[in-house]
Parts: sequence; structure tokens; C-alpha cells
Amino acid sequence: MAAEPPDQRRAFLKLVTAGVGALAGALAIIPGLGFLVSPLGRPTGGGARSPLRVATEREVKPGKPLRVTAIGPREDAWLRLERVTLGSLWLVRATDDGPIKAFSTVCPHLGCGIDFDDKQGKFNCPCHASAFDLDGRCLSGPSPRGLDQLEAHVENHEVLVRYQRFRVGTAKREPIG
Amino acid sequence: MSAEKAPPSGRRLRSWLTDQLGLEEIAKAVRGGQIPGGASLWHTLGAVAAGLFVLEAVTGILLATVYTPSVTGAWASVAYIQDQLTLGWFVRGLHSFGSSALIVVAGLHLLQVLLFGAYRRPRELNWMVGLALFGVVALFALSGYLLPWDQKGYWAKLVEATIAGGAPIVGGPTQKLIQGGGAFGNLTLTRAYAFHAMALPALLTGLLVLHIYLFRRHGHTPKWSLSPQDAAARAVPAWPDQAVRNVIVGALVWGVVAVAVIARHGAALESPADPTSSYLARPEWYALPLFQLRMFFEGPLEIVATMIIPGIVTALAFALPFLDRGRTNRPSDRRRVLAAAGMGLVALTALGVTALAKDARNPAYARGRAEEKARGETARRLALKGTPADGNVFRNDPMYRAREIWDDRCAGCHSLSGAGGEKGPDFKGYNSRAWIRGFLTDPDGPLYMGPAKIEKGMRPVSVMPEEMEALVEYVYAETGAGDVDASRAGRGRDLLSPSDCDTCHDFDGDGENDGPNLKGRGTQKWVAAVIADAGQPLLFGDRNKMPKFRGKLTPEEIDDLAKFVIGQKGK
Repeated sequence: MAAEPPDQRRAFLKLVTAGVGALAGALAIIPGLGFLVSPLGRPTGGGARSPLRVATEREVKPGKPLRVTAIGPREDAWLRLERVTLGSLWLVRATDDGPIKAFSTVCPHLGCGIDFDDKQGKFNCPCHASAFDLDGRCLSGPSPRGLDQLEAHVENHEVLVRYQRFRVGTAKREPIG
Repeated sequence: MSAEKAPPSGRRLRSWLTDQLGLEEIAKAVRGGQIPGGASLWHTLGAVAAGLFVLEAVTGILLATVYTPSVTGAWASVAYIQDQLTLGWFVRGLHSFGSSALIVVAGLHLLQVLLFGAYRRPRELNWMVGLALFGVVALFALSGYLLPWDQKGYWAKLVEATIAGGAPIVGGPTQKLIQGGGAFGNLTLTRAYAFHAMALPALLTGLLVLHIYLFRRHGHTPKWSLSPQDAAARAVPAWPDQAVRNVIVGALVWGVVAVAVIARHGAALESPADPTSSYLARPEWYALPLFQLRMFFEGPLEIVATMIIPGIVTALAFALPFLDRGRTNRPSDRRRVLAAAGMGLVALTALGVTALAKDARNPAYARGRAEEKARGETARRLALKGTPADGNVFRNDPMYRAREIWDDRCAGCHSLSGAGGEKGPDFKGYNSRAWIRGFLTDPDGPLYMGPAKIEKGMRPVSVMPEEMEALVEYVYAETGAGDVDASRAGRGRDLLSPSDCDTCHDFDGDGENDGPNLKGRGTQKWVAAVIADAGQPLLFGDRNKMPKFRGKLTPEEIDDLAKFVIGQKGK
């Protein structure tokens, strides 16, 4: 080294400093990024695996949508909860003994909670004014699709619903969680 | 710019930033000036300590994206980091081992400053700032230790809070302030967390800036053997001559920390804090000397070890630049200072080693560690199933639920303690040879059917001792035990008739009689059948007095309860 001019030697030292520093930094940052993204693919328990009892059949009157909550088990990161509110839904039936349909209250536009407008007889989003009919079809407003229908059936006069969440803001319905 | 040819955009941006920010001055300040006496490995320690602080900050922020400071969520979130997140154990391990490395490197830095006389005029203030930084690092360690809310963190912190509470006048309020009230709870954790993750980082950053500023202002202290002229002649630019050394030593320390983390698979996580247990609390290695020092001062003198000695040492350390009357930086001119420091170091080492050696010789300590290890592994295995809302992962264990049912439904009549039940047999050591022998010898004894007060119950078996052992072995074999002496059990079976057992008991599996059929007696299936309905003809029949639990408990609960009863054998 003694033979090299100091400028050349120092240029090399600068390179070594930057290189070793960058390497050590990278070796710390890469596992850090792995850590950060690791929970992203895990289920957050937006949906229940089995159908949940949400109402009795008698409670659902024709033409008068009923808002109910789905209560069931949920896994959320390290937590395993037995009975928590998973979300709300509207139960709708056209006639006295007609089939019962269930719609998620989550607006497919940006995720606000859908209300029912008694006077106009349609569903409304309070945030951005999307409107939906009793079959969940989008009548007006920015929603990219109709209301998200949930699997529902009646068993021993009780309404059972498989609660699910869907990605909002897309024309296609994609389950999440 | 209109008529002239525009320079390349990169150069333009650079000159704009240079103009706006004063990049030249910043670059000059970052590079630092000349190092009198030349670059050296001695001078890398401060920079490496600062680098370790950056590692702590980055890993700390990562952990904070998951960690939850609450008594129900703290342990569960740390277990989730440790056992479920990708590289969670690695990040947490870096944070924990990195803090140990920081204490070591900062300690070496302090010793180097002592040796070089770098605390002397004009650097007195920076010496004090450095000591304050060391104190902040210690506070980081103390507050961080609690956060996982596991046994070791909880108990170490409990002892520390109590020590703080022992201080005169301010003790009580200080302890309450640490705990967030009269006792340990949620506020203890949220306070420790706010302190550890917000207040201390701000304080340390401020002090570190001041430390580096003062260091840059006064420069490196060259080796004592160089005269000012020699030192000036050998001066080199800090960038890159010292920087390359800093970065290489830093990378080596980082490598050692990473290898240690991988070798140990991260930092320890013991079982969740259990205030009802009797845990052998030990502090982290760096606090062991203080722990051991306390052992020499009993009762009212305890404060000598916890406050007075550490207080005096700290005060002397802060006053050192003003106490040191040496003429030069040469060690030979500062013998008393260096001798005192050396003795202090020897004392710390001796105290720490004594504490370790004492525990190594103590069988109770080893037993406590082994029990805790098993409990910790169980808790972490159960945590993989998800933590219940109350944070109690042991609820995931069917035997925990069985124990709750036992307390609720069974403990009124039966006992597990060996003291005898109120209305039924005691199950301590149930189905062990000793339990069976005791039953056969004295069926109506207080530990067996006595409390049940069954009319015309079983008569004591009175046979020769050798025959008794054979009968015991036969009954033992029927429980499904693994360590059966088959020939002795066979002899026992042959003795059933001569000993008049067969007057009341059948033993072929389908015969009904006054006493229970002995086929498979004491197996889990049999116990479950007794719990479901002990009055079945093959069991205790008409003589039974125990309530039926079929219909009151689910079949799974009955099975778990039977497993729990069977599990009393080893108790």
C-alpha cells in the first residue's frame, strides 16, 4: 500500500466503506421487509366458515328489509375470538313465504354502510349516494356493482347466513379474508 | 437559461440542492476533519455504538407494528412475532441481542475514553453527556425487558419497581408512577411502552446529537504517547481513513449479533406472566452484579446496595473530569483514576460471576428453569391455535377446561390433594400401584369409598403380601398401564377366585354383579362411562350414589374429564 499514492488509496477506502456499509444495511433491511409483509397474506377473519343464525324467519316482512348483525367466531392476527360482530346485512323478501335474500351492508363502492330508504323503497349509500333496488341491483351512483349477496337459507324457521366480505371498488366480486 | 445550453438535468438538480440546502457544508460536517495522530480501531467504538442504536431503532419500529401493550395482548403479540411471522424471531432477536451488544460496545467506548484521558479538559461536558447516554441505554434495557409480559420480564420489573419503592421519601410515589397505580397491570405496560418507544428514543437522539456535536467540536483525543507536534504530523482525514475502520468493525459486530441470534433462534420468550407463581427472578446479565451486590446487604441495609453504592459510583463518574489532577493524558500520570476504574471492573465481573456460579450450583434454580421451560413451550404451542380474548392461552388446552369442569362439578365430592374427598374417592395418584394397593387393603378408608358411605361396600382384601402384589398387578394391568409385569398380573387373575373377589366382581367384560366388572376398570373409557352414569349394571349398579353427568356435560367434555382424572396417576 505504501507504494500507492494516497489519493488512489483513499478512493479505494471510500469504495470499501460504501460497499461494506451498503451490504450491512441490506442484510438488515431485507429481513425487515420480510417481517413487514409477512402478515399480509394471513386471514384476518372477515368471514365465518359456517352459516350463522341471524334472525327468525318471522321477523323478515315482505317489502321491509331487516338489518341484522352476523355474530360469530373470528381470527385476527394472534387473537381467536368466539363471538364477535363480523358485520351487518340486510334480509329481504318479496312475499310472505317467498325466499329470503341477504345483502351485505358494505357498499361495493368505497365500503360505507348501506341504509334503507323507507319512502323510496330502495337502498342508499349515505356517503356517495349510490342507490340499489330490493334485488341489490345498482340503480344509480358510483358503485361499480350491485350489492353483495350472501348465501342464506332457512332451517327450522331460522335464517342462516354465511357471512363474507368482498373487495370493494371492483366490478367483479372477489371474496377476501 | 433561455439562450445558454442547459446543463444535464442531474447536474442541475445537484446544484439546485447544493444551493438550497448548503450541501457542501453538510458534506463537510459529515466527513469530519482531520484526526490528529491518525485513524485507529480504538476510535471506532463510538460510531459502532451509534450504529447499534440505529439497528435498535429500525428493529424496534418493526416490532411496534405488531406489539400490543396490554396485559391480555402483550405476550400473545410477542409469541405471534416469535413463532408465526416470517423472520419475526430474527427481528426480535436482533432487537434483544443488539441491546446487549450496545451495552458492551458503549461500555468499551467508555473504557477507551478513560484510558485515553479523553474525558479531560476541554471534553468534560461531553464525558458527562456520554455517561447520561449510558444511563439512557440502561433505562431502555430496563423498560424493554418488561414488554413481553412473560415471567422473566414481569418478575424482574416487579423487583425493580419494589426497589424503587424502597427509596426514602420519593420511593412510594416513584413506584406508583412506574406501575401506573398501586399494583402491576395494564398501565404498567402502557407506561413502560410509551417510555421505551417514545420518550427514551427522543431523549437518546437529543443527547446523541449533542454528544456528536461536542465530539466534532473538540475532535479525537490522540494517543497519550504522541506529542502535539507528532499528532499533527500524523493527522489523516477522518473520511475515509477512520470511516472505513468504523464501518468494518460495525459490520463485524453486526455479524456477531446476527450469528448469535441465528444460533439461539432469537431471544427467549418465557411463559406468560403469572402473578401467582413463585418464579426465580433473575435480571439480564448486565444487571447481575447489582443483583449479587444486594445479597450482601440484608433488611434495612438493602438500600446500601440498591441506591447508595450505585449513587456514589455514578456521582464519582460524573465528577471524574474535575477530580482527575493528572498533568497529562499519560496513564502513568493518572494511576489512581485507572486503578479505581480497574477495580470497579473487577468488582462488577466478580459479582456477576458469583451470581452465575451460585445459580449453577443451586438445584432448585435448575429445577425452576426446567419447569419454566416446559411451561413456556406449552404456552407457545397453545398460542399457535390463537389466543382467546382474555389472553389466557392455557384455555386452549382441553385439560385446562377439564380442570374448570372438575372444580365446578366434581370437587364438591372428590379431592385431588390426598386429603380425602367429601363424598367420594380421592384421586391423587389414581390407578398407581400404591393407590390400588391402598384401595384393596382398606376399601372403606377415607381416601377411597369411605366418604361415599355405601352400605355393604367392599370388604378389605386380606391375603398374603405376595398374593396382594399379584392382585394389585392384575388390577393395574386392567387400567391399561404400560409397565405391567404380565406373569404377576396373570397370577393375580388366578387368585381372583381363591381370594373371593369373584363373589362380587365379574372380570370377563359382560357379567353383571354387585361390584363393578373388572374388565378394563380404570381405563379412560371406563372412567368416562362412570362419569356419564356410574349406576350402569356393569359398573356400580344399584349401589351407586354418584350423579349422572350424561346430558349435563357433552361427550367431549366427559372424555376430557376422564383424561384429566387418569392424568392424576403421576401426581
